[in-house]
Amino acid sequence: MIRKTVITALAVLAVAAGCATYTARMNDTGVYYYDGEYDRAIDALDELVLSSSNEDCCLFMLERGKVRLAAGMYDSAIVDMQAAERRFDEIEGTASVGEILSTSIVSEGSKEYQPEPHEKILLNTYLLLSYWGAGDRGGAYVERNRVINRLEEYLGIVTAEKDSLLDVPFARYVAAVLYENEGKLDDARIEYSRVEDLYPEAVPWTPNSHLTEIVVLTEMGRAPVKISREIRGYFEKVNGRTFGYFTLPGNAGQQVYPVTSSFLSGDAGLGTVFTFTFPEYVRMPRGAVSCRPVIDGVETGMAVTLDDLEETAMEAFRRDIGTILLKSALRTYLQLLAQNKLEGDVGRIASVVAKFFSLVERADTRSWQTLPSEIAVFRMEIEPGSHEVSLRYYDASGRLVCESAGRQVWVEKGKKQIAWMPGPP
Amino acid sequence: MFRLSAAILCLLLLAGCAPKQTWDIDLETDTAEDADYSSADLLSISDNMVASIQANGFSQHYAAAHNGQRPVMILARALENNTDEHIDTRMILDKVRTALIKNGVAQFVDDQAFDQALDQLNMQATDLYDDRKAAQLGRFVGAHYIMRGSIGNIRKTEGRETKNYFLITMTIVDIETLLITWIDEVEFKRGSTKGSVRW
Repeated sequence: MIRKTVITALAVLAVAAGCATYTARMNDTGVYYYDGEYDRAIDALDELVLSSSNEDCCLFMLERGKVRLAAGMYDSAIVDMQAAERRFDEIEGTASVGEILSTSIVSEGSKEYQPEPHEKILLNTYLLLSYWGAGDRGGAYVERNRVINRLEEYLGIVTAEKDSLLDVPFARYVAAVLYENEGKLDDARIEYSRVEDLYPEAVPWTPNSHLTEIVVLTEMGRAPVKISREIRGYFEKVNGRTFGYFTLPGNAGQQVYPVTSSFLSGDAGLGTVFTFTFPEYVRMPRGAVSCRPVIDGVETGMAVTLDDLEETAMEAFRRDIGTILLKSALRTYLQLLAQNKLEGDVGRIASVVAKFFSLVERADTRSWQTLPSEIAVFRMEIEPGSHEVSLRYYDASGRLVCESAGRQVWVEKGKKQIAWMPGPP
Repeated sequence: MFRLSAAILCLLLLAGCAPKQTWDIDLETDTAEDADYSSADLLSISDNMVASIQANGFSQHYAAAHNGQRPVMILARALENNTDEHIDTRMILDKVRTALIKNGVAQFVDDQAFDQALDQLNMQATDLYDDRKAAQLGRFVGAHYIMRGSIGNIRKTEGRETKNYFLITMTIVDIETLLITWIDEVEFKRGSTKGSVRW
């Protein structure tokens, strides 16, 4: 009875410690963002940035930068994304002693967030779009160069077939459009050829530097999000025998197992708390599966897929999951060790601390959540001047789901203008 | 053991409580902090370019052919930035221009004052101003040369190591003929590594 009371008290403490996962904290922002309520999404992110710990701050700034870009607040989007990028670059390839210790005992989420390579490439791509939107062509060209460097750094000069799922054709395509605008057609051709390997329909017949064109890039769907999967339980001795009581994902009720391991034979007085957590990527439902740009009131052809970011995120996760599970197993082992194998006063304190950490442990569910699941492109020759662009979204049966608000786009004679359109889920 | 631990803890606390410090850095001896473009590079590039222009002697040749007058130049808006860094390349041009004016090598037309000067002249041409003391229209001096250039880099990153090569090219172009009167380049390559452990 005392054991259960103490464990319950520790669980209450754990809840009080504010152990909501990243995905849970981003819930409101996601709803506002994908409903097109950018002001409310930014307000929610302002609060998250202010209240976040150092580990998550840069990721929240990245999310805010992306929302600000969608809201047309280009300068502040640049500030947010560059601040995040600086910190990500600083910590890339480094390890912190404190973080090694904390992730061994507390949770993988207690270390600073380090983006996946495709997220870093996308960060510079969205920075490019921010500079482009702000009318700073020089800044956009610098970001284009950074995108190319990142692609080479993370994917190599020639992307191996096994790594093609990790490629970011969206970044290559945008870079190629800028090369065309600069008259660097060979560079444009190189990037388009890599996009063509993955999405042949998305690539123009031949790069050119003389046609006046509009390039509509649309975002569709929501990026997959990670959720915390948890196997929780505790061991206790009853009449000299040890039993394990477990709550398993997908199973209602408590499972009881007799345990014969000598490892759990130590009696710390409160039983032994067991937690094994791991993240799981969940695809988000999509309302629309296709879209058609409407330019100056005339509906055009279908935008074609340029990048399946959902699959890229899934593939990156598939490659990481082995290490994640191994680390989680090590953490569980150390928590059990601290509860069972240390003796004396130190052992009692270590046992209580380990129980607390075990109870508060949640899987690391961090990822860039305001990314889309897919990017599509539509490109056409157009008269120079101002044009209004909006999007009509259709579901799988071809029924109109919704239409986005129009945006004015100025197209210069002989240039390609990018119209980036954040979309609904 | 306990005393040692306590002493280390006290030292760490003292280090953490140290007041905020500021200090001056000697620009002459300042070095780059990492492989990226830095203030030390700005100084080195501009010094090299100024020395090269002076050594070229085109200013003296111009003076000999134009009754001792110095050539009139105008700056391009900025150096063309082909790097992967957001560099204010105008600073390089500004530093070179300052040195050339101070050393009496050339005169410069202020490319950025045109709109404001035109506004003032138009304003002073109105009845609001005393005609005798107003600046006169039609006395702008046309530049004969334009100073321009580009900066590019090739960066290679492998793990925690970065190598960065920079090439800066500057030219002075005769506006009438498009002939390059002077050209020079500065190049350097620098590597840096990040520590594997951070605190």
